[in-house]
Amino acid sequence: MISSLPPLAAAGPILVAATLLALGRHLPGRVPDVIAIVAALAVAALGALMAFRAGDGVLLHWFGGWSPREGMPIGIAFQADVAGSVMVALVGILFVASFVFAWGFFEEVGVQFHVLMLVFMAAMCGFCLTRDLFNLFVWFEVMSVAAFALTAYRLEASALEGALNFTVTNSLGSMMMLAGIGLLYARLGRLDMLALGEEAAKAAGDPVIPGAFCLLAAALLIKGATVPFHLWLADAHAVAPSPVSMVFSGGMVAMGVFGLARLTWTVFAPVEAVTEALHAVVLWLGAATSVLGGMLCLGQRHVKRMLAFSTISHTGILLMGVALLSADGLAGTLTYLVGHGLVKAALFALAGVLMARLGGIDEIGLRGRGREIWPARIAFAAGGLLLAGLPVGLMEEGATLLDAAAGAESFRWVILAVPIGAGLTGAAVLRAAGRIFLGWGKVDGEEEGAPSEQEAEKANRPLPLMLAPVAVLLLLASAVPGHLAEEAAQHAASAMMQPGIVPAPVSPGEVPERLPLGWMSLSLALLVAGWHLGRHHLPAILSNGVQALTAPVFAGLERLHSGVTGDELVWILAGLALLSLGLWLA
Amino acid sequence: MSALPWSVALWLFAIGFYGMITSRHYVHLIGCLSVMQSGTYVLLLSAGFRWGAGPPVFADHPPGTPAVDPVVQALVLTDIVVGAAVTALLLALALQLHKRRGTLDPEELRPMRR
Repeated sequence: MISSLPPLAAAGPILVAATLLALGRHLPGRVPDVIAIVAALAVAALGALMAFRAGDGVLLHWFGGWSPREGMPIGIAFQADVAGSVMVALVGILFVASFVFAWGFFEEVGVQFHVLMLVFMAAMCGFCLTRDLFNLFVWFEVMSVAAFALTAYRLEASALEGALNFTVTNSLGSMMMLAGIGLLYARLGRLDMLALGEEAAKAAGDPVIPGAFCLLAAALLIKGATVPFHLWLADAHAVAPSPVSMVFSGGMVAMGVFGLARLTWTVFAPVEAVTEALHAVVLWLGAATSVLGGMLCLGQRHVKRMLAFSTISHTGILLMGVALLSADGLAGTLTYLVGHGLVKAALFALAGVLMARLGGIDEIGLRGRGREIWPARIAFAAGGLLLAGLPVGLMEEGATLLDAAAGAESFRWVILAVPIGAGLTGAAVLRAAGRIFLGWGKVDGEEEGAPSEQEAEKANRPLPLMLAPVAVLLLLASAVPGHLAEEAAQHAASAMMQPGIVPAPVSPGEVPERLPLGWMSLSLALLVAGWHLGRHHLPAILSNGVQALTAPVFAGLERLHSGVTGDELVWILAGLALLSLGLWLA
Repeated sequence: MSALPWSVALWLFAIGFYGMITSRHYVHLIGCLSVMQSGTYVLLLSAGFRWGAGPPVFADHPPGTPAVDPVVQALVLTDIVVGAAVTALLLALALQLHKRRGTLDPEELRPMRR
């Protein structure tokens, strides 16, 4: 169905950004804040509207009226399917939350923050809606450049270092993406993704196409922070200002996974070497990411860095749903993606509350100092429980769908990575909540290994304005009725899989619940958090024994994350080699 | 099509990557990044090249004359613009960092102080 709605989602915010930049100096006080919030609200509403309309068939827009001539696509199209539209709505909601949270945060820089954020939002929307491969790359780049600038915005030493690592690794990813697009275009002569899929089906057995996939996948996995491409993320998300981290962890990382899902199901599904490699390598990379991310998350005391590692862990879970290559898997990924984005944005906002109210972000240093901000305590614990798989809301529904998808696997125990990752990250958040807000979990030698840099954010902001978005995000993530979300996700997933390219194994209706993943991860989380918080009450021999066994593992993992750019690049190269090996053997 | 442009692209990619991994100065590292980027340009341009074809400008010769693929040239042009933006941003970051730390050696600059 031809529609002029999809381009609005990308063009609207850019127009607002340009206007703000031109008029910024003359606008009084809080007007830019209000304009930015209204723009983000409009994008969220537009996403929801498109999602409803796209239920009856995708919304298509050919720019400049350059529709296909004689079956040959010559123009660039925006195509809004249900999944893409829901992503746009999610992005809008995250930005509304971030702008409300950042009320007064960026007074000194005037409108520049709003302009960068609006461009960032437009790029994410364009990335979700475009149907042209090169256009996808352009939005990917716009997204990256805006993100680089937003990370370094504070111009403090550690923010600059994190931003440099982030920029170098992600630029390398962009280059790989461009090279992959070049290879695909050289072989298939198309850039429209649907046309590419048709051509790829005809060109079966061409070895260049899996090669192109390898480069494209590496680029998207760098953005999606999958082991071993993930090293940049922990630093970048930890040093970025809190309102920016909210959008990074909730939205930008998910874009990598969403992009991979989009490419897999529109272009590469007919290429057997690629689907086999996804199954044989990427699925296990996702599982490893989930478990390793969870362990690293548990080893942190810097709350934002801990949340960043938890994002890595959950991205691994999202990736598994894509690599399972089924409608249920994709539906699970989409549901989990939305739920995780909302919860993680709320948690980063709470970390921002800590930095603004308590003037620090070190979990052990802040022990017991958060007692008076009790609403934050409730929200922090609720966020931890949702991460840990409390059986309500979107994340739980996503995990159930993933479980159903893994049921058709030959090695279905791979799904156990989901409760382990979710349990460990939930445990870390619950432990932080117990320490900071209740004063539990006394640690000997509190000063040892504390982050040395003074980390505080602008303090004179109203607490209700910081906590309102948190409450809304958490409510959205937990109160959506499960069966509705499930139905919508299955619809979205089957619309995202191009009919005629691959037989889409859709299992509509009730999904059989096989493993109680939610309860498994929740009990793991409570057990681990309880252990950390109550360890000093236990007999010393037990506590010290476990400590002696686990400490070298955590220290070794931490040592791999040296933060040196060269090391991160070597790991990316290793990941690239692993992917190509998988493609070669498949 | 000859294998030469492909090997050149691969060589630029590899030598740039090697330089970035072993770099001890951020400005050098950013230079290596640009070298790698040139590799992708060579790859793209060679993908659209045809022997005996002219430039894709039809102002002075009739439509239908053989021309090289203009799409890849547009892609390269777009990416040169993006690449310039990223390089400028990187250099600005490096400059600010040098002001604060007095060094640009990646080994000595570690975010989060580890």
